[in-house]
Amino acid sequence: MTGRVEDRREDWEGPVPVPTGATVPFWDGTLEGELRYQECDCGHRQLYPRAVCTACGAEDPLFEASEGVGTIYTYTVCHVPGEPGFGERTPYVVGAIDLAEGPRLLALLDADPDDLEIGAAVGVAFWQVSDEAAIPVFVPE
Amino acid sequence: MAEPILAGVAESDLGETPDRNWLDNAAIATVRALEDAGCQLAEVDGVAVAGGDDYMPALVLSEYLDLDEPSFLEGTEIGGSSFEHFCGHVRDAMARDEADVVVVAYGSTSKTGPGRNQSLEETHPIDGFVRPTGLFRPPGAYAMAARRHMHEYGTTEEQLAEIAVATREWAAMNPKAAQREPITVDDVLESREIAAPFNLLDCCLVSDGGGAVVLVSEEKAAELGVPEIAVAGVASTSTHRQDISEMPDMTTTGAAVTGPKAFDQAGITHDDVDVAEIYDSFTYTALVTLEDLGFCEKGEGGEFVSGGTTAPGGELPMNTQGGGLSYCHPGHFGIFVLIEAARQLRGDYEGDRQVDDAEVAVAHGTGGLLSSSSTVVLRRES
Repeated sequence: MTGRVEDRREDWEGPVPVPTGATVPFWDGTLEGELRYQECDCGHRQLYPRAVCTACGAEDPLFEASEGVGTIYTYTVCHVPGEPGFGERTPYVVGAIDLAEGPRLLALLDADPDDLEIGAAVGVAFWQVSDEAAIPVFVPE
Repeated sequence: MAEPILAGVAESDLGETPDRNWLDNAAIATVRALEDAGCQLAEVDGVAVAGGDDYMPALVLSEYLDLDEPSFLEGTEIGGSSFEHFCGHVRDAMARDEADVVVVAYGSTSKTGPGRNQSLEETHPIDGFVRPTGLFRPPGAYAMAARRHMHEYGTTEEQLAEIAVATREWAAMNPKAAQREPITVDDVLESREIAAPFNLLDCCLVSDGGGAVVLVSEEKAAELGVPEIAVAGVASTSTHRQDISEMPDMTTTGAAVTGPKAFDQAGITHDDVDVAEIYDSFTYTALVTLEDLGFCEKGEGGEFVSGGTTAPGGELPMNTQGGGLSYCHPGHFGIFVLIEAARQLRGDYEGDRQVDDAEVAVAHGTGGLLSSSSTVVLRRES
């Protein structure tokens, strides 16, 4: 387990991920509170999940569990909702998170915008938004 | 290599065109650009078109214009830099005698037209990693890149605002510009927050409209007797697609690759550049592109643009029609940077609006979320 899974299915009105192809193992992991990334036999690590390794071209690289911690590469504070269901949420923070294992992931930052800074340590939690997926959300450590 | 000549340019009506669709606007811009070139529709033997709401835009526009078996068809979609990208393909086609008169066109109804509301089932799997975050795109994505630049290089919101202020000074002289009232740095900083660090005046407009340029072979240009505005250099690249998290370094765009290539092809240096038309979807877009094209050192863009460097009378006149920030922005602004660059090189304007003796222009397009970069160097040969 790398993060707590909070059931938000009742009140989530935003877009929900649709697991398909190479992304299925990733989203399956989120339901168990596990943040997964692909690590190829060649050593390359990647997210978002793909059917091929972008370093060596191997097909269907396997998944590993992340520790679920990383740092903020950058972030923005959205004052205008960017998707349906986000109208009540503004201002909210979206960040690009560099996982300790390497891959970078875009995610909601569940934090006060005034308390954030680039380089700060964050850890993952999950909001389950459908029967098929929980979205990774990061909180300052 | 033979260089295509930019023989005619035009916009459709801009702003709000509720009675037009994207294709109408592209076609109207096309016939106006042909008139500007002194060419007939029947002479067109190639089209290059991006944007629009059809996945076969080159075929749709050819059909709409009732073209007779065009020999050059190009519809590669790389966002706002598509039109600069096309210039290279047109050059290749003309070198092979495949085409003599090619229309590069764009049309949209970004402001009044129907919005697109795709379900996640229909889109790229990566969208499941982006859309549930609620990121307001494109502004939020560019804002993330801008914040990283501020972190690494100390760039300030005031410096970004300088670009909006200078661009508005140009817009004030353009009757076609949507926003012409002078603004100050404080106005930018105090405008409504959109996606921090961006405020409203850091962001481009949303407009309807279209644009077109007519590229002809050197022989055709001689026949038409148009000023020889030559495509002297072209280069394109991409760093990622629609997710800003996939951009390897958010403080460096593909312009760092395309700029040197295009300058080298044209045999120019920065000192030769009289006017720069740089896609300004956001203030940061122009700032980082200026750095990457090498007009200043990496990280010094904020200092470079301060004090009216790009304003009328400044050292590097930029976005002389008012840019996407103040003139218009119907989605793929890349067509409009070519149009304005050509007009400056032809000396179409009077007074302060005209850059004196402009001979070399850089037209740079950016597409997606800082994803694609295409640089064109235009040079007046006669």
